[in-house]
Order: sequence, then structure tokens, then C-alpha cells
Amino acid sequence: MGNRMLKRHVLQAGAFLLLCVGALAVYIVYLQFVVADGLARDPLNRRGMQADAGIQRGMILDSDGRALAQSIQAGTRSYLMGETMAFVTGYSSSEYGSSGIEGYANRELLGITDEMSRMGPLAQIFQSERGNDVKLTIDSDAQQAAYSGMAGRRGAAVVLDMDTGAVLALVSSPAYNPNYIDMEWDSMVERQDSPLLNRALQGLYPPGSTIKPMIADIALEQGITDAHEVFDCTGSLDVGGGNSIREGHGEVHGSLHLEQALVKSCNVTFGTLAMRMGVKALKPGFSRFGFDRTVDGELQETASHLPDYPALDSGDIAQVGIGQSTLLVTPMHMALLAMAMANDGVVMKPYIIQQVTSPQGVLLREAVPRKWFEATTRDRANLIGGWMEEVVQKGTGTAAKVSGIRVAGKTGTAENPAGKDHAWFIGSAVIGKQRIAFAIIVENSGDGGVEAAPIARKIILSLDK
Amino acid sequence: MMTRGSWSLLLGPLGFLLMGLGVLFLQHSGGEFAVERVAGELSYLPWLLAVIFLAVFIHALLLHSRPQPDIWLFPCVMMFSSLGIVMIARLKPELLIPQLRWIIIGMVAFVVVLKFGKVISRFVQYQYILGLSCLLLLCLPLFFGTEIGGSRNWILLGSFRIQPSEFGKILLVFFLAAYLSDHRQVLSLPNLRLLFLWLPPLRFIAPLLVVWGMAILMFVVQRDLGSALLFFGIAVLMTYMATGSKSYVFLAVAFFCVAAAVSYTMFDHVKVRFDIWLDPWQDPSGTAYQVVQSLFAFGSGGIWGTGFAHGHPELIPEVHTDFIFAAAAEEFGLIGSLMILLTYVLFFYKGLQVALGCRTEGQILLAAGCNIVFFLQAFIILAGVTKFLPLTGITLPFVSYGGSSMVSSFILLGLLVSLSRKEQKNHG
Repeated sequence: MGNRMLKRHVLQAGAFLLLCVGALAVYIVYLQFVVADGLARDPLNRRGMQADAGIQRGMILDSDGRALAQSIQAGTRSYLMGETMAFVTGYSSSEYGSSGIEGYANRELLGITDEMSRMGPLAQIFQSERGNDVKLTIDSDAQQAAYSGMAGRRGAAVVLDMDTGAVLALVSSPAYNPNYIDMEWDSMVERQDSPLLNRALQGLYPPGSTIKPMIADIALEQGITDAHEVFDCTGSLDVGGGNSIREGHGEVHGSLHLEQALVKSCNVTFGTLAMRMGVKALKPGFSRFGFDRTVDGELQETASHLPDYPALDSGDIAQVGIGQSTLLVTPMHMALLAMAMANDGVVMKPYIIQQVTSPQGVLLREAVPRKWFEATTRDRANLIGGWMEEVVQKGTGTAAKVSGIRVAGKTGTAENPAGKDHAWFIGSAVIGKQRIAFAIIVENSGDGGVEAAPIARKIILSLDK
Repeated sequence: MMTRGSWSLLLGPLGFLLMGLGVLFLQHSGGEFAVERVAGELSYLPWLLAVIFLAVFIHALLLHSRPQPDIWLFPCVMMFSSLGIVMIARLKPELLIPQLRWIIIGMVAFVVVLKFGKVISRFVQYQYILGLSCLLLLCLPLFFGTEIGGSRNWILLGSFRIQPSEFGKILLVFFLAAYLSDHRQVLSLPNLRLLFLWLPPLRFIAPLLVVWGMAILMFVVQRDLGSALLFFGIAVLMTYMATGSKSYVFLAVAFFCVAAAVSYTMFDHVKVRFDIWLDPWQDPSGTAYQVVQSLFAFGSGGIWGTGFAHGHPELIPEVHTDFIFAAAAEEFGLIGSLMILLTYVLFFYKGLQVALGCRTEGQILLAAGCNIVFFLQAFIILAGVTKFLPLTGITLPFVSYGGSSMVSSFILLGLLVSLSRKEQKNHG
């Protein structure tokens, strides 16, 4: 064996090492090219927050151009409407991250665009010292009315513009104060009533009777009933297995059509209809109304909890028909249900960022309203929507009546394991040229027509300017 | 001859160094050039000038000595050192002067080794003395060691902290080159059959087993996973180079796997490292914090990088030593990290040429061994910070902050360059 063999082995060992480093190089390309964006945007990556230091953050404005959050100089931030707008603006904290628009539009507010982040060092040339302004669709008056209507009770309210899907108000109560988030964080986390939870988008509740317009729609669509069938309400419905569902306050409605059943919120009628249609019709019905979708992006919504269909017995199905059982939904989604009934069955995609403008006033981005899905037909929507007007005129929702304004609605009084019933009111109103849909819930407060409907009235009055 | 144009080889490294420090100076001074401010900002200037002077001096020495040694290796190393200086000035300015000082000491050591290269490579005759002193050096921390950063592999000498394993690797390369070149015949003509493996008599492979065992010992007792892996890799690769026997490689890999499996079940720190590698997202804010932050640095850098001094690599703990590559990758992007990798490949290629140009077996193995130390060490830490392999803390040669590492690397470089002097030139 001479040096020739030795050198050959040296080369072999060298080639092996080069191969290892070659594989490593391919992996680095994977890290810095293929998955780079995902890593850069990971919520645990604190680099986005660090970028804050030298830049004067842009303003968050309401739809009239009034400031909701502003920075007089880099590193300071004040929220002009405090708790009222907490879940709209969100907070921005170097210690606790960010939420709401502060979190979602962080890069815009800092003046960093996606195009710039791909330019590497060149981006430094284009970085301005002041971030962009983000203008929202929020109407501060409606927001104020909804928040004060809650009067500190636990609950949420969502108000949408039916023509566009723009969010006019987004309230969750109790709320934290974004001005003091760093100081109050620990006590906020410990509080039993979860002031950091955005109930409007992430709270899951049984819908109670507010689901009935949808059950009526499914029943009409399936042809298992019509507007003329007469139901007989004896105050109680045997649902099999020795169980029964009853009317609230021990009422007995007697003979009634579907319209009157909705206006009086008759549990017997809707339990009967649900059992008649069965799971086979309920399941596509829920998905037709978008309960298997979630609003994402700038409005991070939690997915609805739909019933576990295969496990349902007839009693459970009847419970689903009156919005109980294991069905859980967000206030946002109930507002969309109300929108469908007042908007010819069309549901517009909700959004909250109207436009982004540079400090020099250049329009960088403008929202484009978009039809999201069609929940039902124009005819059925108008029919049921008309019945919902009757609810407000002479049914369970008279507390929301405003003279001279067309208001439609549906009350709900949802049983829940936490205590007193949740009070619901969902509906719509035509205020001049503006057409709105809304959903309001006040947790464990009692009757929907008494506790929630008056808040809807306050919101409508605030918009009637 | 190519000597005249070869001065340009230093242009890249020194240009990078001056521009990098210039950018930092302009950024820190913020447009104010008051005398006191500038003086405070540039307190490192004498040290920097000494580094540049020495670099030019060494390069001139290499260019003008006959027979001519390799003139590529040193500029590559200057490139690494410049990157290290610039990154440390940016990440830990208070460590800039110490780093410059270590580079100067390293360069002086390099010149000394180069001067006495012929004498030093004659040490190869004293294999057992080499082996024993290597063993002794590595065992020192077991008795007098101090634990720093979770590894008990430091010795305190007055105010100096020394990592004996950094110097142990020089002795290890020497010992292996000596032992293997001497016993090549016996080791390559095995007469013992064990299943499908051909092995020589036990007394010939015993020293190798001792080296392997030592690596495992460092692994377990001193918690110095990086050095253990490096030592083990050097031993296996050099054994293969000397014998060409795949039986040794198989045996070594099997040995390693068993040892790794045993330590995984027996030692928590090994288990934690391995679990982090399998899934860092299990505990991204706890045990896996460092690796996850490093991955964020790579992702945030993207292709073009954030621009020098505009990233946030300071979010990674210990970024100036083991994780310095992640910082460079964030600020110089994919382009930068591939450039660095490519420079290591060029360095390795040139070193391989040196080894292949040597004449005696001992010299070939010595040169190849020195060469492998740099490349394998770079691979181990780069694979660790990118989560390509489990993380084992070790310095990136010539780049990371660290005195022992810097000086020992320059000594190895001196050996490699002195071995590149051929008595009669056949090309170039």
C-alpha cells in the first residue's frame, strides 16, 4: 500500500464531508427561502415588536377620521376611547405582544410592507420614521352606545353594515383598558370574568330562540311545512325517552301559524319542526347559513360548535331546533344570520379595516366589499324577515321599537350551565340610507326581550343622526 | 509566478472588515463627529491597525517565502476573522477589543508555528508521548475544571479561562497521524474475523478504542457534546483515511449509536438536547428557546437579509459564540450564509490539496487531519444552529468569540500552511 491508496482514502473522506455540507446548504436554502415567511411571522417571533423602537406608530382612526389610537412620539401610545374600543384597537405591548388591529395591522402601522421586507438592506432606504394610518369602519357613536348599554355586565355586541359587511361596532364587556395593559396584565389574567376575552368574536354561546328564523327557513326549504299549517301548542312537547320541552313562563300558545310561532317564540312548534326535519336536513341547513365557516384575517373568529350529528336522539334534535343542546355560536355569527334574513339571503364578508394611508396621505389599500355566501333565497328571506318585523312590532322584541324606523329582530333566552339565562337579541334596521344587522348578548341576565333588545334600540338611535 | 496579483486575495477580507466597522461607526456616531465621541467610539483602532498590519505582514511572508506555501488558506481565514470581528462589534461591542487581541495572539502563534513547522511536524515520531499528553490535557478539567455555561470543560488560570479541549484537538490530530501512519500495515491487514467485520488484533486497535472512549467520557462527564462529537468524528475519519477499512467505520458508528442510546436514557441533558431537536415547538419558550430564536433569525433574514445592523439577532442567547452564524444569516440573508458556507468549502478544498501534495504518510495524515478539524467543527455547529442536527455547543472556527478556540485554530492553520511548502514545486 503506497501513498496513492492513502490519498484516495483522504479524498473519499473529504468527499463525504463535502456531501454533508452540501446537504446542510440545501437545508439552509429551505430555511431561508421556503419556510422563511412562516418563521418571520410566527407569533412567538418578537422581531416585529422590536421594530417598534425607532418608529412613530401610525394612527388607528374611526370611520369619521377620529383618532382611536395615536402615538405623539415613537414609543408612546394612547388609546383615546380606552375600554370602549379595547377589542377594536387591541393593545400593543413589548411585554405581552399585541392583539386586535394593533396586532393584525402591526406591519402597516410601522410602515413596513411585504414588498419592503423582501428587499433586504435596500428596505432601509424606504423606511419612513412614521408608520401608516389605519382607518376602520367603526362608528364611534354606535360603539359607545353598545358599550354603555352593556353597563358593565358580561356580554357582547356586533353591528354590521348589511350593504358592505363593514363592522360598525364590536363590543365585548367587561373590557381591559389598553392604555394600562402592562400595569394591569396580571390582575386581568386572574379575573374570573375574563376581561381579555373578545366575546364578540371568540365567545361561544347557545343561541337559544335566535336560531328559530333559520329553523323556519330550513323547514320551508324542505317543504315539511308552509305558512298556512296550523300548529297546536299545549305548552309542552313530548320528545321521547320521557323528556319534554316546555314554553317559557309556562305559557300555552294554542293554535298558531309559523309566523305567530316565530313572533311568540313558540318552543313546541320549533321542536316539532326540528324533529320532523331530522339531522339530514339540519346539517346542510347549518352549513348553508355559514356555521361551518369562520371570519378570519382582521377579525379572528372562533369556529362555531355544531352538534355532534350522529349521536343526536330525537330529544337532542328538538333541543337544536330551539337553539339548545350542544350547539354553540359566536355573537358575530348570529349577526350574520340576522343579515341574511334582512338582505335577500345574501351575507357580505365582514371586515373592519376601511383603508390604509401613508403619512403623506397616499392611499395604500382600500377595502373592497365582497359577497361571502348566499344563505337563503330572496323570497324566503323576505318572508321570514317580515315576520321578524312583527316580533318587534307586537311580539317578544317590542323593547327595540323605534318610531319611524323599520326594525326587525328575534329575541333569545338561552339556558346555560353557568346560571341565569343568557339574553339575546339579533336583528336589523333601516336607518335612512344605512341598513344594519346586529347581534347582542348579555350573559346570565335573563330575558332577551327585556335585557338585550333595549341595547339594540340605543344602537339604532345612535346611528339615526 | 502569480505572486503579484495575489495581493488581491486580502482585498476581500480587509475590505469587508473596514466597511463593516465603518457602517457601525457611522450608525453609532449618528452624524456627530465631536472629537471625544469619535475617540470613545474608535478606542479599538490601535488593535485593529495591529490586526491589519499583521495580516499584511503574514501575507507578504507567505508570498515571498521559498518554497512557496499555499497562499489561499490565510486569506480565507482572514475572511472568517473579519466576519467575526464585524459581528462581535455589532453584537457585543465590549468584546471587540478582546477578540482583536486574541486574533493578534493567534497570528503571532501562527508565525511561530510556520517558522518551526519542520521541527514541529517531527513530533510525529513520539506517538505515545503525544497520546498520553493528549489524554492528560483532556482529563485536566475532570480534576481542576470549572463549570461555565453548563459544560465542565474550563480551567481557570488566574484571570484566564482556558478550554483544554481546544488544544487537545491539536494533540489528538498529531497522535492519530503518528499512530496511524506507523501502524497502517497492521491495521489494514486484519486477521481477526468478527461476523462480517475484519479486525486486527486487539492490542493494535486498543489506542483507538481509548480515543473513542475518551470522546464518550467528555460527552457524559463534562457535558461538552460539541467537542465530543468533533473528537469522535476526527478519530473515525482519520482511521478511515489511514486504513480505508469500512469495518472500523461500521464499528465506530455502531459504538456511537449504542453510546448515544444509553446516554439518552441515562442522562437528562442528552435527552433534552435530543428532544429539542425532534420537536422544538413542544417548548419554544423554555428549553428550546435558543434554537427556536435561531430559526426565527434564519426566517426573518430571508434571501436578502435585514441589512447589517438592522436585524435583531440579540434575541438569541449566546449569539456571539455558538450562534454567530444565525446572526450573520439574519442580517446578510441566504446570500450571506451561502457565501460563508462556500468560503469554508474553498478553505477545505485548498486544505485537501495541501494534504494530497504531501510526501510522507505522516504528513499526509497530519495535513488531512488539521483540515478536517476546521471543516467538521464548522459543520457540527452550523448543523446545530439550523436544527439540521441536534445542537451541540462548539465555536465556529475563526468567527465565534473565544480565545482558546482562536489561538488553537491559528496553531492548526500554521501547521497546515507549513505542510503546504513543497521542496520542489510541480505546479503553480
